[in-house]
Amino acid sequence: MSKEYLGEFEELVLTMVGILQEDAYGNSIVNEIKERLGRESNLSAVHVTLYRLEDKGLVKSQMGGATNSRGGRRKRIFTITNAGLAMLRAMKESRMDLWKLIPQLKIAGNL
Amino acid sequence: MEEGQHDKKPSPPASALQFLEWFCPPKLYEGIEGDLVEQFQRDMSTYGHRKAGLRLWMGVLRFFRPGIVLRNRFSFQLIKVDMLRNYVLVAFRNVLKNKVFSGINVFGLGIGLAACLLILQFVMVELSYDKFHTKLDRIYRVTNDRFQHGKLIQHGTITYPTIGPAMAKDFPEVERYTRLMPGWDFNAKVGDRFFRGDNSHFADEHFFAVFDFPLLATQGADILKDRYSVALSEKTAKKYFDIVDNNYSTVIGKTLYRGMDTQPYKVVGVFANIPDNSHLQFDMLVSYSTLISPDNHGADDSWTWSDMRHYLLLKPGTNYKKLEAKFEDFSQRHFQGDKVSGSVEKFFLQPLKDAHLYSDYEYDIAKTASGKAVWAMLIVAAFILLIAWVNYINLTTSRALERAKEVGLRKVMGAVKGQLMRQFVFESMLISLFAFVLSAILTQLLQRPFNEIIGSNLSIWSLLSALDTKMLIVALLIIITGVLLSGFYPAVVLSSYQPITVLKGKFQRSSSGNLLRKALVVFQFTTSVALITGTLIVSQQLKFMNSADLGISIANTIVVEGPETPWDSTFIGRIETYKNELTSIPGVISATTSNNIPSARLGRIFDIRLTDQPNSSNATMSFLGVDHNFFYTYNVPLIAGRKFLPTDHNLDFNKITKVVVNESGVKLLGLKDPEEAVGKSIKVWDVERTIVGVVSNFHQEALQKPMEPIVFIASYGNWYPTSIKVEPSSLQTSLAGIKSVYERSFPGNSFDYFLLEDRYNNQYKEDKRFASVVNIFTGLAILVSCLGLIGLSSYTAILRTKEIGIRKVLGASLPSIVTLLSIDFLKLILVAALLALPVAYFSANQWLLAYAYRISPGWTLFVIPVLVILIIAAVTMSFQIIRSALANPAETLKYE
Repeated sequence: MSKEYLGEFEELVLTMVGILQEDAYGNSIVNEIKERLGRESNLSAVHVTLYRLEDKGLVKSQMGGATNSRGGRRKRIFTITNAGLAMLRAMKESRMDLWKLIPQLKIAGNL
Repeated sequence: MEEGQHDKKPSPPASALQFLEWFCPPKLYEGIEGDLVEQFQRDMSTYGHRKAGLRLWMGVLRFFRPGIVLRNRFSFQLIKVDMLRNYVLVAFRNVLKNKVFSGINVFGLGIGLAACLLILQFVMVELSYDKFHTKLDRIYRVTNDRFQHGKLIQHGTITYPTIGPAMAKDFPEVERYTRLMPGWDFNAKVGDRFFRGDNSHFADEHFFAVFDFPLLATQGADILKDRYSVALSEKTAKKYFDIVDNNYSTVIGKTLYRGMDTQPYKVVGVFANIPDNSHLQFDMLVSYSTLISPDNHGADDSWTWSDMRHYLLLKPGTNYKKLEAKFEDFSQRHFQGDKVSGSVEKFFLQPLKDAHLYSDYEYDIAKTASGKAVWAMLIVAAFILLIAWVNYINLTTSRALERAKEVGLRKVMGAVKGQLMRQFVFESMLISLFAFVLSAILTQLLQRPFNEIIGSNLSIWSLLSALDTKMLIVALLIIITGVLLSGFYPAVVLSSYQPITVLKGKFQRSSSGNLLRKALVVFQFTTSVALITGTLIVSQQLKFMNSADLGISIANTIVVEGPETPWDSTFIGRIETYKNELTSIPGVISATTSNNIPSARLGRIFDIRLTDQPNSSNATMSFLGVDHNFFYTYNVPLIAGRKFLPTDHNLDFNKITKVVVNESGVKLLGLKDPEEAVGKSIKVWDVERTIVGVVSNFHQEALQKPMEPIVFIASYGNWYPTSIKVEPSSLQTSLAGIKSVYERSFPGNSFDYFLLEDRYNNQYKEDKRFASVVNIFTGLAILVSCLGLIGLSSYTAILRTKEIGIRKVLGASLPSIVTLLSIDFLKLILVAALLALPVAYFSANQWLLAYAYRISPGWTLFVIPVLVILIIAAVTMSFQIIRSALANPAETLKYE
């Protein structure tokens, strides 16, 4: 696993970028988080996180098309890089490894 | 592109977006703004216009966070660095292109700054006196003026031992007092070694509570309470007890003796060496209670013994002026002096912070300097710096024509005023930076000679350590303002040119710019002329004082510090033998003992009158106790009667009946002429004595002080120094003989001597120092002004090259061209001179007022500076001007 460490919110935003594909920009990510997880997030927090991920090389960005609703401003579209995907995968796997170490039967029995 | 489409929708609050744009990195701005606007549109439908606007504001504010704002630096810097590179490049090119101008600029500013730094070192140290006392603003010195028949006869800091206790009792404002008496000659005997005259004071147990002189080792609190206890400075402790490892506690409890006295003194404390910037300087303190014995409490309760110095510590928040106002009643309640001498005493308080710079007291134990001189130097420093900056402004704007085309072109290429301003300010900052570096180097180089001249040990560190934060801020502000203003004005002028006019070539220098430039030149030279006049007057006065006829011969006189020897019936005989042995040494002409020597402030007697006059006519005279060789040794002319004879002496002071007075004394007694005075009976210290002779007046003290009435009393005494007149050629050779005679005559006394002339001239140390500092900095001011003049004149010459060519073709002569080129400047300098003279005259007279005997500045003293400055200016300009005037018109006109 790489030395880079991702915070919980960073991981979430990175995952959303992966999910949304060509439509990953500030507002859509906020909405997606709300829709899928029911969690309120802050536009500025998402932006800052995105830039930080970009600094780490996990996402890259370019300016996309403008829409009416944005008053003619273009969107900054983020896409996940290979490094980003690898990071997500590595994190998922390490979680799974840890998950396996929890005694499953006991939980099942209690249910 | 799609700009128009969102018009139909209500737009988000522009101010919020403007704010966003202000802090947001431009690179990120569009994406963020878009997201915010999108959200705003959504909120519009959900919440309505008002709330959506509010939410947008909230959103914007949330973006105002380090994660966004700090991203600015990266991109921001990139742009800045690019432009900065360009500014540096252009600035360097300009500096190199005009080597002479830049050189003059850098050199002038550098000298100005260096001069300023040097003077500031001096000034700051002078201003830092006594600042280390934590209770500085609450400590006051009691001073007193004594009036007799309504006339001020004494202006001093010498008060009565009762003043402190009585004031503390009468005035609740007084928190504490401490009293002090100088113990001039505490000659210490430690073991079998003698040490002479360490600078000592008697001080009471409150001393260390009022002042902050750190104690390195003590024997408990209240260390100066017991009789016969002493506190030593580090230095003295080391000297007396050979301490090497700074372990001063081993000194505590040791004993030492005072001269031949068998009473042991116990060391009870060691204090850190007194800092140079303390107005009180001492190496030893003896407990004040030592002065008070069971059978003599004069030092505790006398209202007439005026040898004590008092310091009061007032309670916080006390207005000392209000307290001072109560002193008149206080004086009437307690003061007894008027009964004896018919005098009136007025007491005052002097804040401790003024003790060093603003003291003109007689019998002062403080280390003093002239506050006026310090401020004068500060003003000189400020003016030199101003001149240097003025030079810079002047030279830069005068080159406007040259830079105008550059400015025009830059503007055409799209440069806006702000950018041009930045460029010019940057250039001036670059020049200033060079100047700072140069000034640092110059300060280092000049430090040693400067220290030698002013006789102190200053460094840039003494400046820095004397600075407190407030002054540091002021200094920084002055420098920053100076750099910015001197860069800013030319920048404003240069960047405001209209490209159309300058590029068409019709550009003329504005007349307002010319006027300003002229005003600046006038200012520079006004300062220079005033400084030259000042220098001349100061040096004339010094010369006058050094060469003045003192009325007494102090040359070739060796003074040996007084011995202590048993006071018995053989005393006079032993001193006479000692003097005879001295005069038998080859080269020694004569020797005399007296209680004081020329240059010392004499003591005063307040109750002198002719015996047939009533008590109320008591008058005040200074007194000198002298032996019968005095007038002969010092060559004081006798006007009437006779000099002292050996038979006039007596061991009992009250049985000495013969006195001599000087001319002023005769006048003070109300006698018509010296002849009349001889044989008159006068009362001195309430004893009838006869005037046997009258001598002429002489300058007992420096020429600052008037010649006072003096009464001479034929006396001998312990501690009387010996004045020995020798042949000029034997000044050195006779010393060994004098030493051996002294040591043989007074065993157990250490031999210390000095040359009277040195001691006397020492009174002018401060004046000499002031004169040399003013000299140096006048020189620098002239140099800097001339640098400016070189720059301006050569520039004018270049501008008028073609005009000169044409004039020469038309037959103008060389002198006429030189006149043409120089007349403008000479006119300005003349105006400057006229402006400077009244200022110089006024301040010179003010300065001279401090001297009782002074020169009266004649017209030559004011004409010379003007001539000097005209000549210097003419010579300065002549190189450039003659070169232009000599230029071949064929060369200068060939491009037309």
